[in-house]
Amino acid sequence: MNKKPGIFALSVVCILLGLVVTLQLKSITKINLRNDSQLLRAEQLQIELKSEQEKNEALYEQLIRYKDEIDSYRNSATQTDGYAKVIAQSLINAELLAGITDVRGQGVVVTMKDSANINTGGLSDSYFVIHDEDIQKVINELRSAGAEAISLNGERVVSTTAIRCVGSVVSVNDTKYSAPYVIRAIGNAETIENALLMRQGVVDVLTQWGIEIDIKKEADMIIHGYSGATSPVYAQPVKK
Amino acid sequence: MIFIAVSLLIGILIGVYIPLEIPKAYTLYTGVALLAAIDSVFGGINAQLHKTFNIKIFLSGFFGNAAIAAMITYIGTRLGMDLYIAAVVVFGSRLFQNFASMRRFWLIDRAKNVEADKPKAGPDGHTKDK
Repeated sequence: MNKKPGIFALSVVCILLGLVVTLQLKSITKINLRNDSQLLRAEQLQIELKSEQEKNEALYEQLIRYKDEIDSYRNSATQTDGYAKVIAQSLINAELLAGITDVRGQGVVVTMKDSANINTGGLSDSYFVIHDEDIQKVINELRSAGAEAISLNGERVVSTTAIRCVGSVVSVNDTKYSAPYVIRAIGNAETIENALLMRQGVVDVLTQWGIEIDIKKEADMIIHGYSGATSPVYAQPVKK
Repeated sequence: MIFIAVSLLIGILIGVYIPLEIPKAYTLYTGVALLAAIDSVFGGINAQLHKTFNIKIFLSGFFGNAAIAAMITYIGTRLGMDLYIAAVVVFGSRLFQNFASMRRFWLIDRAKNVEADKPKAGPDGHTKDK
């Protein structure tokens, strides 16, 4: 080794180098660790979600297969003998009212949108969104006007359907939906429309809050049946 | 030689115990600049071996190359290109060149007990041939 300043300079430079290399290594490993742990958690949840979805699909397919079986039994029943035909017909009627089958007919489509007004008065935001009570009021009115089948955002409203606010969305048949809400009802279109548009009726009161309600009559529409499980646990038929 | 190793160790120890960190946004630049710096150090060691070490060339190369490498990376990010690849390739290949030159010195020239001729290595240690 020859010059002293040479070695001194090299040493200072090496200290600097060692310092920056270590800092860089520290930062990079920390970043990698952070990325990994976040990703791991998201990955785990994704895997769980996927398996649950697959289970769900498998169960749904089973359900469809059972329904097909039942359909085939019913078909063979109607073709064999008179008494079975009558029973089959009353079964069809019962299922229609229960909401398990798809139905078609004339009716009304009611679309409800959250208020487009801006919250200027410092009121709570809940005054400007649609609540479960509003939807329930509309459905109640539809029923009283003779609607025979009602669906909310594609979910058939059956006797065990609950419509509840969950945070900022509404849960129907345990599925969450957000605004706009589309309610279809099959019945006498004229009567239903008039019932909804009565003065001091449902639409009148709700539009005062700024909620937009749009009513359209249809000459022919389809409402799908309830696709969930339908075996009662507590209610047992009473033998006559 | 020992001085260099010791000062490297000192630098590493300081780095381990200081609670500083390089923010994620800058790690690319420091990485490229580090590569340039390491190449300069290798060049400096090479020059020492061939007795062509020049302190001014070394220091200007060390800080200058690091700065230019970081600048090229920055320009690359602004232009939307991976310009740092250029710096990585160049400094990487010079690293290998310097190392080759050092190897030759240690394994061949010293064994022959011949002093390395000056024309073989430039003042900052980079050879003209492979």
